[in-house]
Amino acid sequence: MINCSKNTLYTFIILFNSFIYAESVLIQNVTIYDGKINNPYVGNVLIENNKISRISTSSIRGDKVIDATGKILTPGIIATDTDIGIVEIGALSVTRDDSSSLYKIGFSIFDAFNPNSVLIPWNRSNGITSALTLPQNTDSPIGGLGSFFTLDSNIEITGMKDNVMIGRVGGSGAESRAETFAIMEDLLEFASSLNSREMESYKDIANLISDSPIAETMDLQPRDIKALYKLVNDNLPLIITANRASDLLKLIEIKTKYDLNLIIMGAQEAGLVADQIAENNIPLIINPINNIPESFDELAANIELAASLEKQGITLMFNAPRSHNYHWIRHGAGVAVANGMSYQGAIKALTSSPVEVFNLGNRGEIAQGKIADLIIWDSDPLEPSSMPEKMFINGEDIDLTSRMTRLTDRYIKNQEKPNGYRN
Amino acid sequence: MIKLIKFCFLFFASIVYAEPFESTYEPLPAENVLIRNANIYDGEGNEFLQTDLLIKDRQIIALGKDLPVSDDFLIIDATNKWVTPGIIDIHSHMGVYPAPGVSTSADGNEATSPVTADVWAEHSIWVQDPQYALALKGGVTAFHILPGSANLIGGRGVTVKNLQRNTINSMKFPDAPHSLKMACGENPKRVYGNRQQAPSTRMGNAAGYRKSWIQAEAYLSRLNEYEAKSDEAKELAYKPQRDLEMDTLAGVLRGDILVHNHCYRAEEMATMINIAKEFNYKITAFHHGVEAYKIADLLAENNICGALWADWWGFKHEAYDMVQANIAIVDQALGGKGCAIVHSDDAIGIQHLNQEASKALAAGLRAGFNISKARAMNWITSNPAKAAGIYDQTGSLKVGKNADVVIWSKNPFSVYALVEKVFIDGATAFDRSANFQPASDFDVGIISPGKNRIEE
Repeated sequence: MINCSKNTLYTFIILFNSFIYAESVLIQNVTIYDGKINNPYVGNVLIENNKISRISTSSIRGDKVIDATGKILTPGIIATDTDIGIVEIGALSVTRDDSSSLYKIGFSIFDAFNPNSVLIPWNRSNGITSALTLPQNTDSPIGGLGSFFTLDSNIEITGMKDNVMIGRVGGSGAESRAETFAIMEDLLEFASSLNSREMESYKDIANLISDSPIAETMDLQPRDIKALYKLVNDNLPLIITANRASDLLKLIEIKTKYDLNLIIMGAQEAGLVADQIAENNIPLIINPINNIPESFDELAANIELAASLEKQGITLMFNAPRSHNYHWIRHGAGVAVANGMSYQGAIKALTSSPVEVFNLGNRGEIAQGKIADLIIWDSDPLEPSSMPEKMFINGEDIDLTSRMTRLTDRYIKNQEKPNGYRN
Repeated sequence: MIKLIKFCFLFFASIVYAEPFESTYEPLPAENVLIRNANIYDGEGNEFLQTDLLIKDRQIIALGKDLPVSDDFLIIDATNKWVTPGIIDIHSHMGVYPAPGVSTSADGNEATSPVTADVWAEHSIWVQDPQYALALKGGVTAFHILPGSANLIGGRGVTVKNLQRNTINSMKFPDAPHSLKMACGENPKRVYGNRQQAPSTRMGNAAGYRKSWIQAEAYLSRLNEYEAKSDEAKELAYKPQRDLEMDTLAGVLRGDILVHNHCYRAEEMATMINIAKEFNYKITAFHHGVEAYKIADLLAENNICGALWADWWGFKHEAYDMVQANIAIVDQALGGKGCAIVHSDDAIGIQHLNQEASKALAAGLRAGFNISKARAMNWITSNPAKAAGIYDQTGSLKVGKNADVVIWSKNPFSVYALVEKVFIDGATAFDRSANFQPASDFDVGIISPGKNRIEE
């Protein structure tokens, strides 16, 4: 359980940092959406150190009191499919750190994460408090490691390293999807044959590669083999992007055969095989606003997808196009609700569901003892026009200034000065 | 301005070659309709509560309280609902970049030469694009299809009614002017610079536009010279040979064709305004304009609209300086004389222009501007209608205009508002409760032979 001990370590770092903020904060008289599917209620929430130490409908004392009468409190929103911290400008390859030419399975983006990226304050000011950052898909149908990051802008990065692997299957100009599935199964077969003793020496791993036709043909490196081992033995969450109904069924078969911790992303045709997805407890990451049949794999794309999957009891999370604006998942959630999804279900998809599915620690809901990642909204968080009024990450009161608010001020204030001399 | 364009059009009609590819649009069968007791944004900046809207002979006849009608009117009770003009998108690539997004139908960029003023977007349109019907459910009654931005001068754009038909001509918006797509910045210089040809720099871009306009001026003066001759002299002279590229550019110089200019950076927009002045043409709108807020007054002084997103950014360096108040700042330039448009450039975005406007409005209010929802509604109705040259026919609920009308379940600035009914020229084009919606041939039997693609 290598992964678990690392998670504990990072959680410890979070705890340690938070001791500096000893003053307790009371959010008073606020309407609480707890991130589970409970009905909202008006209550008082006390933040001490980095945690929610008390919640009560009767009065509590706190060092600092925020009156939030008429306002809404939600857990911080967690984006599950981002390139935050590893891509600054899409079309500028010198600012991109999301792909590898050498490593096909064990490629980790963790060391590339830039806590000073302007995407962090921007997404935070729009309600995203933490994110899974994923690499681009590699040449291998399974491969590439994503990490979880808290968007607190601390130069000392807090998060969980390599806590998820990605993959993809579907129509491409390169190969038949039958070949993609075959490679996937060959790799998983190989992974299942690995044992911990063999992972200890590079020489042993090199021998394993030369003995395995698939590993040798794909030119896998020891780093790739270790990642494969981790996938199978640590039950690492595996996010496969797939859309066509038949692909989803084949993935369910592979999940069952190799006992994978499978999450399917995209899933535009999930409505056609919703029973099977529900039966096999496969969580989905979907973009509820995307009803475009963008490829021949996505013909069943439908604006009512989220609502129909929710009815089947499927665990949902939301994504948005992988570029800069991850708060669009709030807009997507709003559209899902407009088209039949339950409101609390949509909030859950943005908060506690990612935590449950990806084991993101003690956060994602408003309950006693949880990490205080909290947002106070002046109005409905699922309206795209709403913005957070106040935010806490790890109990810390977060400044919501972004480069965008600075530029706005520069062009609407102090206009008498030449722009280079404005604040 | 529209009147002037019409005047120019008539004046020069004698020397312009007969317009090919004319609209053959026929509206759907329509009834006379009274929409009763609705809350209305009229697209002219006004809000009317609990007001009736009367549609007769495909036109808006009256807005008012308790309007009387005869028995043959269809009466729709719109109590607690909202009514707006049909939504118009000034920047769409539906049809030229249809869904599915496959290479065989990706017909939006003739990226084989930096100046392709001779190509017309309408000749690329796939009429079976399943995206039109999705946009209709977002309240979109008309949209302007542009060529892409690979080229300095990308070709002619066209405005269409959002009614899928079997020919392009039968979708074309009657009497709508053509547009010319121009593009600044990174795209042309990247596409051609990568091929080791001009333009590879922004200065190369500027030279490219100017060279083309110099040719167009010469072409137009040869034409005018010929047309000024007496009939006898014409017989002795050669008629200048027609040139497709120059036809389009001369159309801009005459004021018949409206310039829609993809441009992100403030200083490049200012340069384009200089070029327009040098060659005496008008820029109707800058599209995308992520930095429009930096030169909002300059745009307002020159009567140029900003067709903008609420918050797209960061995909390119020239799109890095986004502010959410961009649209509001452009709208409020020179004490509210600015022309702001919320555009989509996207088949998902076009379905949610009301929500994008809502986001832009909220950002404007946060920045301290006092803008009403009724005014923000202009950003997706009358302002794009003006920029498409169809404001005399649609874009607001003025008496006498086409009855392009949307009934919403709630206030359209909310994400929860659904489009209930869409009228195009007074005819029902979409009715949610009656499950009346179009499907293109693409949608038919493609997943399950007995059903349409998104049938329940």
